[in-house]
Amino acid sequence: MVEIKDLKKINFMSGLSDEILEQIVSVAQMETFGEETTLIRQDQTQNLIYMLVSGRIFLNCRTSGAKVLTLDELVPGQTFGVSALLDNSPATYTAICAEECTLITLSSAQLLQLFKTDYRTGYEMMQRVVEKFKIRMNRHTSQFLESLANHPDVKGVA
Amino acid sequence: MVKIEDLKRINMLKQVPDHLLEILSQEAQLNIYGTNTQLFAVGDTLKTFYLMIMGQVALKVALTENIDVILDNLQSGRSFGSSALIEGAIASYTAVCQEPCEVITLQGSRMLALFEANPELAYHLMTGVAGQYKRTMDKRARMIMKTLEEHPELRQHINDINELTPVY
Repeated sequence: MVEIKDLKKINFMSGLSDEILEQIVSVAQMETFGEETTLIRQDQTQNLIYMLVSGRIFLNCRTSGAKVLTLDELVPGQTFGVSALLDNSPATYTAICAEECTLITLSSAQLLQLFKTDYRTGYEMMQRVVEKFKIRMNRHTSQFLESLANHPDVKGVA
Repeated sequence: MVKIEDLKRINMLKQVPDHLLEILSQEAQLNIYGTNTQLFAVGDTLKTFYLMIMGQVALKVALTENIDVILDNLQSGRSFGSSALIEGAIASYTAVCQEPCEVITLQGSRMLALFEANPELAYHLMTGVAGQYKRTMDKRARMIMKTLEEHPELRQHINDINELTPVY
């Protein structure tokens, strides 16, 4: 069973009121997964949001040339799979447990249902998603420009 | 005021119920802009949310003194300036009309007031904006991955590659 104090340890949830956390707790599950369990597979649709309570998770990405890059190693407090709230677009990475992991999982269908019965909670959560996405999107743009600025073809022109 | 049918042409509003589009239609204005009109520039505080009915708008940033990069060319159905729906947001790109454009505008401050009064409207619009951001993020991430695959030596210039992943 998940308690509000568990959610408060998750970065994505910080600052949310107890009233909202209480609602989210009602659809949250605590689950433990063994080492090497694949939680999300690249190119497949996802329907759970994951919040890491203990353990480590690798996020890998297979490029179009079939190379596998490890992009990130997640530590407790981090959240992934938020995109499950938005559409049925496929995951852009694979998430694998590097060791035994305990996670809070939220079913996107249940969460969306909750939002439709309480739009204020839905608004607050979606606003949070938008703010996080915006920061990340701007960072992606900067990364893209950094790689472009250092690209041999561009260096030749500049 | 604009027609609901015009709002239904906008991708991010396709899931918004009619009774909410009705409210938006009362707030919206239809504008015509000429070629080369700059709607806003990098660093401006965004006050207006733009929904494209016709024409083409380029979103660009300066790469160097001599090179501008066009991040996207938006056409009918697309929207931009959605940061106006978040208080105090700053533009991260410059938006310029590439041809005569017909654009619906919504004032950010007015929308924020409406969001307070109508959380259902707020929820649907924020969901639309989040979806739009996600598509853009995925597209940029794919572009970066492709560039890194072709030129692995560029990876040393990106010291926060973990930020390519949607983790929070």
